[in-house]
Amino acid sequence: MSGPRVALEVFRKDLRLDLRSRDRLGHMAVFALLVVALLSIVIPASKPERLSWSPALLWVVMLFTSLLGLARSFQSETEEGAIALLVQAPVDRGWIFFGKSLASFVALFGVELWAAALFTVFLDVDWTTGAWSFLGAGLLGATGLAAVGTLLSALSVGVRFREFLLPVLLFPLVLPILIFASRITADALAGREIAGLVWAVFLLYDWVCVLVGYFLFDFVLED
Amino acid sequence: MVTAAVMLSVVAALAWLLWLAADIPGRIGTARWVGLLAVALIPVWLLLVAYYAPIEAVQGIIQKIFYVHIPAIIPTYFGFILSAIGGGLYLFTRQERWDQLAVSGAEVGVVFCTLMLVVGPIWAKPAWGQWWAWDLRLTMTLILWFIYVAYLFLRSFAFGSDTARTYTAVYGIAGVCVIPFVYFALDLAQSATMHPTNPAREGLPPEMGRTVGVGMITFIWIFAWLIARRCEVGLLQSRVLASRVGVA
Repeated sequence: MSGPRVALEVFRKDLRLDLRSRDRLGHMAVFALLVVALLSIVIPASKPERLSWSPALLWVVMLFTSLLGLARSFQSETEEGAIALLVQAPVDRGWIFFGKSLASFVALFGVELWAAALFTVFLDVDWTTGAWSFLGAGLLGATGLAAVGTLLSALSVGVRFREFLLPVLLFPLVLPILIFASRITADALAGREIAGLVWAVFLLYDWVCVLVGYFLFDFVLED
Repeated sequence: MVTAAVMLSVVAALAWLLWLAADIPGRIGTARWVGLLAVALIPVWLLLVAYYAPIEAVQGIIQKIFYVHIPAIIPTYFGFILSAIGGGLYLFTRQERWDQLAVSGAEVGVVFCTLMLVVGPIWAKPAWGQWWAWDLRLTMTLILWFIYVAYLFLRSFAFGSDTARTYTAVYGIAGVCVIPFVYFALDLAQSATMHPTNPAREGLPPEMGRTVGVGMITFIWIFAWLIARRCEVGLLQSRVLASRVGVA
């Protein structure tokens, strides 16, 4: 089997697992619903204030929700000792990383759309002006989160206090996503021009994260 | 003159640490001389802070924190750079000594970073009127601190020494790759800057500049000595573990 083929098979397996068991997606969806509902109860009721808070809150909700999904991304591999077999695939292990990340990317992007819809319903956010920019930020944000998250999730699989460790490892490294994405979302909602430099650096960040994950994943699986 | 001595100290300390890491048991004896140098420098630095450097006209005595706060910057970054170098070399050579260097760099770097983050607000309250300002350099240092504390947590929670070494090296390298983006993002998020743009000593009276310089040299050699000792402890630790495994 060639490398891309392995990545594709890993991706299809994860996607099928997500769609059949609906554990991962279901838990993230319910969690996001709960958090957005709570937020809309506690934040100030006036419309301008809500609008100015929404972009930052949306991405914080995303970050916390993605943690649920990322923490479980290697569950299916560890449960039946499948990981020992998976690493025997005669290809560069970076391809396994691509497959796993792609599956997480799809799950995270789906949750982003769901969270955006929840913000519309509960907080009356109107996406008509900035839909494309938000989608762009969502795609880039989900890519970065999936790449960094997959690498760190693999790191924390065999480690004590995993529930504590994963966010502690993840949050400082994905801080740029939080800042770029909420900045783009805020500008898009307010109808402001978004600086090309922000998009370029966001893209570069994703590219570096994917590259780092691809090269370092091999070392993580080795042990 | 003092600036040149600071540069020389950084280069000499780095060269010595790399030379030491290549053969820790055989060369750890030299750490005694570095320790003596650090111990000799400390009273010089303290006397300069107390008597040579003038009391700042506006801020008064509290400004003396400057002579701890600024010198702590160099060991902080030195430690994190050492940690990245050591982690990278470990992944590619799989030699334990590089891992010792990496983890020592992270641990001692965190100590100096903590010192800087603790004394900063004590000075900032009277000088700026607030304990904490979310300015670029301060926030960046805090994020660095978070990354390296996470690194140390990962280190202590991972099972098996080889796994722990590989995992921390991977996280350290990922951290180093992401840090420039964190800097850019923070710059984008916050425009206000409280710290002077250039901490260089041009605007300072020469007495203050020289005192900071001597502080930096003192901190560099304390740092180098701590790194060497930490490497030695790490090596002894892994020897004890290995002998236990042998008995069992």
